[in-house]
Amino acid sequence: MNWNTAVYIVMNPLFALVLSPLVLGLIKTVKARIQGRPGPPVLQQYYQLRKLFHKEIVYSEDSSFIMRLGPYLGIAFMLTASLFVPMVFIPQTGWFGNIILFFYLMITAKFFMVLGGLDAGSTFGGMGSSREMTVSSIIEPVTIMSCAALAFVLKTTSIPEMFRTLLAGSIFSYPTLILVGISLFIILIVESARVPVDNPETHLELTMIHEAMILEQSGPKLALVELASGVRQTVLMALLINVTFPWGLAGLAGCASLLLAAVTMAVKMLILAATVGLFESLLAKIRFFRLPDFFMIALFLSFITIVFELLR
Amino acid sequence: MMNTGITGDLIEVLFVLILGTAAFVITQRALRSLFTLYAIQSVILAAIAVVLFAEHRTVSLLFIALLTLVIKGFVIPAFLRRTLVVLPTKRDIEFSYLTPASSILLSAVLLFIVYTSFSNVAEVLFSDRLFFLGGVIGVSLALMGMMVIFSRKKVVSKIVGYLTMENGVLLFGLFIAEMPFIIEVLIVIDLFMLIVLSTIMAFGIDSSIEAFHKKLTQLGMRFED
Repeated sequence: MNWNTAVYIVMNPLFALVLSPLVLGLIKTVKARIQGRPGPPVLQQYYQLRKLFHKEIVYSEDSSFIMRLGPYLGIAFMLTASLFVPMVFIPQTGWFGNIILFFYLMITAKFFMVLGGLDAGSTFGGMGSSREMTVSSIIEPVTIMSCAALAFVLKTTSIPEMFRTLLAGSIFSYPTLILVGISLFIILIVESARVPVDNPETHLELTMIHEAMILEQSGPKLALVELASGVRQTVLMALLINVTFPWGLAGLAGCASLLLAAVTMAVKMLILAATVGLFESLLAKIRFFRLPDFFMIALFLSFITIVFELLR
Repeated sequence: MMNTGITGDLIEVLFVLILGTAAFVITQRALRSLFTLYAIQSVILAAIAVVLFAEHRTVSLLFIALLTLVIKGFVIPAFLRRTLVVLPTKRDIEFSYLTPASSILLSAVLLFIVYTSFSNVAEVLFSDRLFFLGGVIGVSLALMGMMVIFSRKKVVSKIVGYLTMENGVLLFGLFIAEMPFIIEVLIVIDLFMLIVLSTIMAFGIDSSIEAFHKKLTQLGMRFED
């Protein structure tokens, strides 16, 4: 392992970990401002995590080892998945980056979260887990189709290779990436449990999906679960940003270029976060059984990407 | 003959955008956004005509672009929006035969069928890959518009389906059959009259003459009683 890979392995997950609370905070602030409230401070999520890490853990007496192990597994899988999407620079090695494995790592993390929701035996947890699995199984074909479209357009299944190809070309060489970008945006919204699909701010039993699953978690474990979903969102955002607007990503690791690339990425990430906040404010939550309509748009766009590429 | 330089790339980007708007025309429920989507689609079409003009230097292309931009990009959407003042509903949530999800799936299949059936004759008919692409997308857009017509229940959204269909025909015409400019003009005039008549019919069909006059007055059309 050369130092380039070593720097990458340390830096990429760390970047996602550090940035994800800020992204969540910014989305909250944007939404609050649009609603005419001052909203919490942008750094609120960091304080929240610090508070949670200093609290004690309470387990339901019906819970088993899954509840105790789940959050660790969740964050571990998410950090591994974050290695697959280069955020600051593109590593030299071909060790990681298969897009199909990337999505399955994320799904495995979700699987343990769902088990955790069922484990405590509360009705809310079970309900949340059931809904989460329903939504996941509907979005699954869409995700696979988008992967296929990306792989088909860029002629590779490795995410770093895709970014390298994109950096060399321009949007005009791959016009269909606009469509894949919209698909990825919809996947981002679904996977990070945001408004038209789920409402991250409510604890109303009728609407919550993600929140219902983690109701029984407490203290540092809850902090880990929240960090994991933050990282999931950041990583997907990075994928979307680098597919549609890769410029600024460093091709090689050098101190100055790394710093510049990190700052550029952070800025792009925050712009996307503000866009997500705006998008959430413009839409109302979609009724649960209408969700497939929303996902179908993503499926359609990925499908016509493939047909379009056949045509070219 | 089209050289596949920057113009070709630009047209491909515009094609992609047209397909994107088509997807949303099929699924969009709010009427106001539906009209805006149609306007955006028409502006993109006008842009395609301008890019083609830059390549071919045929003046009629420029006129088509201008006509499309003014009539379909602004006048027809503005007229449709004015009907919303009178219309009791702002959202079209009724669908017959097909749900939006299944019509989306069906339109993907349609695109594929059009592609396969056209690729058999591509060698003879199309001088250029880009023209083939334009032909396929034009016909698919027309078929998608047709699907909107039969899957929507509200007459106003059926009109948008009809307009989308016409956009598809225009796209097909831009790339395949060189229509004389006068025919384009006549088509647009026809279209405009049809929209005026059908929107007026759409919300007047269930009312008496007196009530109908009142509704028209709200639209800004004066009638002597």
